[in-house]
Amino acid sequence: MRVSGINKSFPGVKALDNVNFAVRKGTVHALCGENGAGKSTLMKIINGIYKADSGQIFLDEQPVEIKNPIQAKEHGIAMIAQELNYVPEMSIEENLFLGRLPVNKLGKVDWKTVRRETIKFLEQENLPYSPTQKLKTLTVSDIQMLEIIKAISYNAEIVIMDEPTSAITNREVEVLFEKIEQLKQRGVSMVYISHKMDEVFRIADDITILRDGKTVETHPASEMNLDQVIALMVGRKMDNVYPKEEVEIGDPILEVEGLGSKGVFKDITFNAKKGEIVGFAGLMGAGRTETMRAVFGLDPYDEGTIKVHGKPVNIKKVSDSIDQKVVMLSEDRRRYGIIPIRSVMENASVSSLDKIFYGGKSHPKVERELVSKYFEKMNVKTPSLETAIQALSGGNQQKVLLAKWMLRDPDVLILDEPTRGIDVGAKFEIYRLMTDMVEEGKTVIMVSSELPELIGMCDRIYVMNQGRITGCLEKEEFSQEAIMRYAM
Amino acid sequence: MKKKVLSALLCVAMIATMLVGCSSGGGSSEDKGGDDSGDKKDGYKVAYIARAQEDSFAAWLADEMKAAFEEYDDMTLEVFDGEANDEKENSMIENCIASGFDAIIIQANNGEAQLPYIQQVVDAGIPCITTNPRVECEGTGSIDADPYEQAKVNCDIAVDQIPQNAKVVVLLGPAGNFHSTERRNAWEKEFFEKRTDVQIVAEDIANWNKDEAMALMEDWVQANGKIDAVVSMNDNMAAGAIEVVKDNPDFKDMLAYGVDGTAEACLLIKDGLMTSTGLQSAIDLAKMNTEAVHAVLADGKDVTEINDNVPAPLITADNVDEYIQMYKDNGQIKE
Amino acid sequence: MKKSHTRDIIQKYSIYLVLLAMFILCAVVNENFLSVRNLTNVARQLSVGTIIAYGEMLLVIAGLIDLSVGSVLALAGVLSIATYQGTGSLALGFLVAIVVGVLCNLINAVLVTHFDVPAFIATLAVQMSARGAALFYTKGQNLLQLKDYTIFGQGSVGPVPMPIIFMVVLTIITWYIMNHTRYGRSLYAIGGNEGAAIASGINVKRNKYITYVINGVFAGIAGVLFMSRVNAGLPNGAVGYEMEGLTATIVGGTSFSGGVGTTMGTLAGGFIIGFLNNIMNLTGVDSYVQQIVKGGIIALAVVVDIRSKNKKTQKVILAADDNEKEKEKEAAK
Repeated sequence: MRVSGINKSFPGVKALDNVNFAVRKGTVHALCGENGAGKSTLMKIINGIYKADSGQIFLDEQPVEIKNPIQAKEHGIAMIAQELNYVPEMSIEENLFLGRLPVNKLGKVDWKTVRRETIKFLEQENLPYSPTQKLKTLTVSDIQMLEIIKAISYNAEIVIMDEPTSAITNREVEVLFEKIEQLKQRGVSMVYISHKMDEVFRIADDITILRDGKTVETHPASEMNLDQVIALMVGRKMDNVYPKEEVEIGDPILEVEGLGSKGVFKDITFNAKKGEIVGFAGLMGAGRTETMRAVFGLDPYDEGTIKVHGKPVNIKKVSDSIDQKVVMLSEDRRRYGIIPIRSVMENASVSSLDKIFYGGKSHPKVERELVSKYFEKMNVKTPSLETAIQALSGGNQQKVLLAKWMLRDPDVLILDEPTRGIDVGAKFEIYRLMTDMVEEGKTVIMVSSELPELIGMCDRIYVMNQGRITGCLEKEEFSQEAIMRYAM
Repeated sequence: MKKKVLSALLCVAMIATMLVGCSSGGGSSEDKGGDDSGDKKDGYKVAYIARAQEDSFAAWLADEMKAAFEEYDDMTLEVFDGEANDEKENSMIENCIASGFDAIIIQANNGEAQLPYIQQVVDAGIPCITTNPRVECEGTGSIDADPYEQAKVNCDIAVDQIPQNAKVVVLLGPAGNFHSTERRNAWEKEFFEKRTDVQIVAEDIANWNKDEAMALMEDWVQANGKIDAVVSMNDNMAAGAIEVVKDNPDFKDMLAYGVDGTAEACLLIKDGLMTSTGLQSAIDLAKMNTEAVHAVLADGKDVTEINDNVPAPLITADNVDEYIQMYKDNGQIKE
Repeated sequence: MKKSHTRDIIQKYSIYLVLLAMFILCAVVNENFLSVRNLTNVARQLSVGTIIAYGEMLLVIAGLIDLSVGSVLALAGVLSIATYQGTGSLALGFLVAIVVGVLCNLINAVLVTHFDVPAFIATLAVQMSARGAALFYTKGQNLLQLKDYTIFGQGSVGPVPMPIIFMVVLTIITWYIMNHTRYGRSLYAIGGNEGAAIASGINVKRNKYITYVINGVFAGIAGVLFMSRVNAGLPNGAVGYEMEGLTATIVGGTSFSGGVGTTMGTLAGGFIIGFLNNIMNLTGVDSYVQQIVKGGIIALAVVVDIRSKNKKTQKVILAADDNEKEKEKEAAK
């Protein structure tokens, strides 16, 4: 596949400016660039969702016109979107065959074939689910795997993957890469979009870098290194990916002892000290998120104690933990994070209403100043404070949510997968914030599935497996292998 | 949490006691209907399927039916509520056939829809009377209040009362309603065709409702300045129209005609605000139904011989006192 | 930049522009429309519906609904009248209406928050029960001879009718609640994303209770005004008023998916429907045609509103990209 001279303008913005790139048959072509660089727009044009103002797409050197995703499919192009498209209330088999259920002559759905094919897929992919299970009961990562399977099952010749690993575990990433390898053997070409540079370098044959809607450079992956790619992406040099500073570590701020919740986690004992960044590693479903939700008062727990600054506290609901200056940024930004249609300002102030509404009236000026102050600190990019948060990029949404908690001046900041699916620049800013926090004598707990980031940022890493803490690694013991040993 | 549940339960209890307390204090008689037919010695079991307890006339009729049956030792009545729903009413009829009633009185919600089910009653050999409205079905008897007649008695005096070249407004019941249509027909034939000088300046549906009639009347007063007469298909709507202009000196001489002879209409006639209404008496209707069904069951009269209309007496300022007394007796008007 | 700013303002205030356009159109079509008397009529006619609409607005913003309000209004109204007739005290009558409204809505709230019954079903159940209770208590007959009770609906202070005064006061109260209390702000968050609201430390259950209680107070007041205005206790009265309230709310820009809506928008929605009814009655449009027109206008108003909002979001997304790039360029320099 080759695209040539693609231009696309939206009112007031030139989204793509004479973009060229070519994917060789049977190779993986990585597309790198910051958010807003035009990657998604380009992919949407290839997939027929947008129409290019000018330019041409060639398949096997034949010019083709793609007006909509169905046509794209007919041309053998499959896309795995970053935002998952699925119907939570439907079963696996229904989702797998959504929009293309086989029917007999009378228009009756041929459920037998559906069932047989679904079982075949599930067995092939080693997914221990029944075809009739509803999707909402699956983990995000399994749903992602299903999406990938679904895309591949169209017998596509070109597969576009937009951040396919943002929600899956390392083990599943391995499975995915195997899959990609198999597809390569079959002569399938792939476009791979990711912010994770290590992945890009592992699987890509070629790398194209986009910046501000322009193709900057295309090179074979073997001829490039990480620093070069990042420098080309941001248009400047970035010296250190992990801005970790040495901070003196003091007394424990948060102590959790023997925390348990039936069937979810058990015997959870850990602490987080002043000036310390504590990591939580583990596979998906190890109970890390559930543990943190209980500490934060989102879910109930059956046993154990939580102490803040040495005093036992009774946390039954979120406002209890906020009172204790313990706050948490959820992994699921769309479900537990943003209020999509409300403004960025309201999203940032929603947990600090007591600071805005007092004396029987609201104080919009105070709100504006408070929010602006933290937005500046967090480097939030938004057209205005009144903009609906859903209009912002993922990274900026994440920064707004962080600003929301910074407004509460927390002592303990729990971050659950804070950098999932956001671009390099925003990631860096979140790391900076973590560093700032601990420098001020606070403590940060980071749950993450990305081992490099844990190793790069943390002072200590707890590893969880099947609802229990299986190990605690000190800084000098850090290595991916050591973590994985405890995690499996 | 528990406290909240408790307080909520308490609320339910409070409402319940309030209702029970109030109704036993205000009500004139206990309405047990035929639920306790076991107490009585062997008698005829009669079912009455009412159109809807929500309809104030139907509710009144059901109450009067119960009261009328109290007079008989050898008959008991069980009342069913059709909830103004054809399907409900039809299944009630089916149930009554299956439960072995000796006679069934049906107040149809919609004659056409109930017809096949009424036919089933006839086929089952159960005497069947249709009432308010009459449903034409071979093998049944009927007792009705004739809507045409109820309006006509008003027309007869209106022809002389309404001034030359008068401007009138017309208030209608729900679209397609049998009673509304028949009453409107009476006004057309018995009044408007005879008095071609009279001009209808506005005509609209107020769904039998007082509040809807008020809103219409307010706007019509604005649009027309002066209105000489209100022609309403029931008393509720007439009362609504009167409510709007009752304190307005320009409308001191406005005439207003209704149908039903409700307690409210009687009071308005007494106060000189309303001109006349044709009574549809639930008391008479209930009495005649009861007498008829007793004649069939006890005296062996053929049900098909029953085909009567209750009289539709005209209520005006001259005779309103006797009807006010009637309402005082049944508690709808307080002293 | 300047041009798009004007467009922004037009979109933000589109509902008021629709109202203004309607007002002018009505004034041109019928000479009676602009009379003080007529405008007073319109305001009085829509006062009950608007008060109900405020309750529905709070609920819909929070992602809830109340289908019971028409029945609750009737129950509150007839019990209030009965109390007045029994005791002769207007104050007590008024109080009973509010208490009944609140109690019925506590049932709604318990069903919705504790038993997780969808609000649609829970309030539908209460709708039936409350109507049944009103009919049972009155035996289906209208309560008459209201005497001084009519002061709430028919009285006036100076030239201003009482229902309008109630409407204005409740408008101010609702506006204050939505703009100057934590509770009001929390409602937007709850309706916008309940999960996020919980995770932000908002006590969602308590706020839902408060919302139903406020709705109950409004329903009680509406019951008094309604019955007092028609000078009768109508147990069958106000059937389907929940739809009137919801229509004003939705036409006024409140989103059925929750999280969006304003007091003034709802008021404007109420007036749009009020003007529409009024002008059609004034000009004597056939009542069947009235229904067709009303349905059409309501659909149109909502379509226009939704479309202008969608465009806004789209544009903002691009603006965000734009802005981001500009800042990056500056940073690069």
